[in-house]
Amino acid sequence: MTTATTTAPAPAPVTTPPGASWAAVSALARFETRMLLTRVPVVVAFTVYVAWTVWRTRVSFDGFPALQDADRATQDGPLLVGLAVLLSANHAVLRSRRHDTERHLDVLVLPRWGRTVAHLLSVAAAALVTAVCVGGQFAWEALKPGAVGHGSPAELLVGPLSVLLLGGFGVLLARLVTAPFAAPLLIVLLLFLATFLGFSASGWTRWLMPSVGTYSVVTLPSDLIGRPAAWHALYLGGLALALMSAAVLLSGGARLRTAQAAVAGAVALTLIGAVGQSRGVPETVTEARVRASVTPEKLHTCVERDATTYCAFPEWQPRTGDWARAVGDVRALAGGDAQDRPLVVRQRVEARYGLDADATLTPLTRPGEVTVGTAWGGNRVSEFAVAVAGVLVAGSEAAAGELCDGRMVTVMWLALADRPDPVADLRRVRLGDSDTGSSIVVSQTEPLQMTSAQTELLRELLELPREKAAAKVKAGWAELTAPKVTTDRVAQVLGLEKPEGENECL
Amino acid sequence: MSPTVSASGLSLHYGATRALDEVSLRLSPGVTGLLGPNGAGKTTLLRVLATAVPADRGTFTVLGHDPSTARGRQEVRRRLGYLPQTPGFHPDFTAFEFVDYVAILKELTDRGARHREARRVLDEVGLGEVRGKRIRKLSGGMRQRVALAAALVGDPAFLVLDEPTVGLDPEQRMRFRELIATAGEGRTVLLSTHQTEDVAMLCHRVVVLAGGAVRFDGTPAELTARASGRVWSSEGRDPGALAGWRTGLGTFRNVGDPPPGADLLEPTLEDGYLLTLDGAAAEVTA
Amino acid sequence: MPVTGTRPAGDTPVREARRGVLLQLVRPVARTVPWWAVAAGGGLGLLAAAVPRLSGGEATPWAGVNALRAAALCFALGAAFLLDDPARQTTAAVPVRRALRHALRCALVLPLAAAWWTAAVLLVPQEARPPAGDVTLEAATALALALAGAAFAVRRRGADRPGQAVSASLLVAAVLAPLLSPSDWALFTEPDDPHWAGAHGRWTLLLCGALLAVAVSCVEPVRRFQPVRRSRTRPARAGKGVWGAAPGTGREDAAGAETPRP
Repeated sequence: MTTATTTAPAPAPVTTPPGASWAAVSALARFETRMLLTRVPVVVAFTVYVAWTVWRTRVSFDGFPALQDADRATQDGPLLVGLAVLLSANHAVLRSRRHDTERHLDVLVLPRWGRTVAHLLSVAAAALVTAVCVGGQFAWEALKPGAVGHGSPAELLVGPLSVLLLGGFGVLLARLVTAPFAAPLLIVLLLFLATFLGFSASGWTRWLMPSVGTYSVVTLPSDLIGRPAAWHALYLGGLALALMSAAVLLSGGARLRTAQAAVAGAVALTLIGAVGQSRGVPETVTEARVRASVTPEKLHTCVERDATTYCAFPEWQPRTGDWARAVGDVRALAGGDAQDRPLVVRQRVEARYGLDADATLTPLTRPGEVTVGTAWGGNRVSEFAVAVAGVLVAGSEAAAGELCDGRMVTVMWLALADRPDPVADLRRVRLGDSDTGSSIVVSQTEPLQMTSAQTELLRELLELPREKAAAKVKAGWAELTAPKVTTDRVAQVLGLEKPEGENECL
Repeated sequence: MSPTVSASGLSLHYGATRALDEVSLRLSPGVTGLLGPNGAGKTTLLRVLATAVPADRGTFTVLGHDPSTARGRQEVRRRLGYLPQTPGFHPDFTAFEFVDYVAILKELTDRGARHREARRVLDEVGLGEVRGKRIRKLSGGMRQRVALAAALVGDPAFLVLDEPTVGLDPEQRMRFRELIATAGEGRTVLLSTHQTEDVAMLCHRVVVLAGGAVRFDGTPAELTARASGRVWSSEGRDPGALAGWRTGLGTFRNVGDPPPGADLLEPTLEDGYLLTLDGAAAEVTA
Repeated sequence: MPVTGTRPAGDTPVREARRGVLLQLVRPVARTVPWWAVAAGGGLGLLAAAVPRLSGGEATPWAGVNALRAAALCFALGAAFLLDDPARQTTAAVPVRRALRHALRCALVLPLAAAWWTAAVLLVPQEARPPAGDVTLEAATALALALAGAAFAVRRRGADRPGQAVSASLLVAAVLAPLLSPSDWALFTEPDDPHWAGAHGRWTLLLCGALLAVAVSCVEPVRRFQPVRRSRTRPARAGKGVWGAAPGTGREDAAGAETPRP
């Protein structure tokens, strides 16, 4: 071009299509999400949360989770993430004020409430990441070979919703108080009040907290849980939405119809959820709990394997194989007719107190019936083996609970001899984890007692090669299982040294 | 004239980034301009010379004092005025209170004399009228002048000014040049700037910094002379030029190695500066 | 050169002058202290300390000690903002030492902190009150950690306002410490716990560490901390001494130089 042009062609006027500001909001939201997820507190919280969850889930529930318990186990970790998101989202909203860019940003096309929405969307993204973590944790539990039962989606939602709630609160707080010290201070106060009130509150106020624990460790069939999980998720979701839409209202979106409607709707949802979750355990569940505790046989489905009938709640049917293996191990060591005497393994649970308290089961009095609980794995296996051996030797669970003679040695040997490390298992089933002296043997029903002499004799017997010991037990079976047989006589029959310890039941 | 500030081999790294690379300098009384593209290390050099941040390697002295010891640094600071690139303030202080506060920090303990000094520097920067106003109520240019007053208070022998004219309107900038020129009488002033006119009008010496290293050190006339015979005019943009742009006259002004018989133009300081920098940094498109 | 104002020369006047400087600095520095943060931390802290008394019923030692811990943490979070100074860059190169300026800020707040803590301890009902000396140790450690964090941020990054980041870090640490601290290094015990005394030995250690960190961080370094580079020697680069170069010779140098960073 050789001539100077003095007028440049005017640029075509930029027309904004109606959806453009939403595109801007979503672009900003992606930016804010990246910023939020790389903030130090959030990174630390996610790292600790994931590491802790992986560490715990490796060995949780002894490898035999009931999914109606596993869903609740996903709720506490996300609170840590939620606090970090609260703090970081609050800082992020205050960022522009801190760096004095608010004045520049205020004259941009994207309104202030649009920026708030972007921050809220970044919080939602953090909640989504949490949901992925929660999903991963639950899937891991569900894929364990020993998993039974059914999880509740509402319980699984609590974790991500807590993050959403806390993060939304952080954004709202930044729109209410511009001081950077407000968020950390409020977090301390919230944490303190939560621990303080969480421990002292009872009834419906407990359910105002994001994550609500239980007071017992019992595993119930999923239809007897009776937690208002869906109402609680509704309450949390409503509250999170209410806080978030209030934040939009406060950042200049007061005239937005959608925001007004969202606040009204969210408050309504919160109230419905709060009322719903405060109504306690429904009548039908209470009745079902009584039925399951008093007359479980009416709910059972039974399977027969090798002269043993396994009657369990339908959700536990897949566990029959594990029980059968434990019963088979004990029976294989027994002598006389105990190898093929009919047995009934009956699953029982004390559900009348729900998840508020633990209670022990009374021993079964009918001959040949053994109780199995709803939990499995770890110590539960040895305890079950002791119960089976007790019924094989003493005839019934009630009679085994009253054992106070030399038969105790046989019972414990039958239960433990086939375990990979019998002495370690002995310590595990005994109260106080001892392997010498007298002690109580923990069981699913009434505890058993071992005297010093019996413990000593059992240790001697366990030290023999297993085949040799088994031959001796089978040979002397009638005498070893005779009522009132003394410990000294048992030692004599087994050809072992007379124990020196005291031999008095407590 | 014997140098008041002499530095040799100053180096500073931020992680893998080399902010200063063996910088050696001698400054004598008068105004020295520091030119360089963004990220050249100007602010870092000024912060090092103002003792706000220690260098990794290298030594320097200010008026015979070595700031690599706590005591020496304090002696240097007693003789130093520093205007940072982004000065901060206590917004609730009035301009007078703030300058007075800095004066206390500069160990001016006699209250009456200090107040007189604070008023003097505020008058000097043209803020005598508004010295009772809170800083939060002052405009950006006025705040910049409050910071300059804070740098000038206590009559320092060595003045370090980091882009003092940024954000000022033309009239304020003229006023600032006047101030700096006055300050340069008898003092050593080191002035970092992007404005080649500032350097052309104020400085008796100019240092060009790029990539953390000194690329030129001499008088403004010498820097301008570098472009002598290397600026020419043409009808279109000369593809062989390092930089070329259309002027208001409609012809192109090219900087670089001219073709034979080109219509040579009188160079400016800016041409010399552009030629000193690498072609990549100097690439200017109209 | 006209010299206005009086700047002391020589050693003895300097010492005198330092005292004069300190006295004259009290008022302006008191105005720059972020009192709102301190007040908010203190106020919320008192609220936390009052919870066991306000909640009615029997207050347990567990509630007492945790209320005081929450109070101490609130105050420490507020105090993390103590070294926030928007004019840090403007006053970066003044002869009054940074340690002195930091110390002055702390000295202004410490008497208030002591009075506030006494009130907080007295707010907890007698029967729930843990041993005063031991909880004071915990509170002092929290405060010292907050100040150490702020002073470190100033020393390391020259941060104008380190408060926000430091309070966030302190909070994260306070939440994680009870969860992650190993059982043989328990810190958050209860008064009737047999480990109470051992835990307070560890608190003393922590406090000493934090105070040492404060002392070290308050001093402005004259040398940069360089863990690796210090040992590496680079051969001097020939032809680099450009300064004073004539325009003609400078040209090759400029052309051969590395590309300036954008």
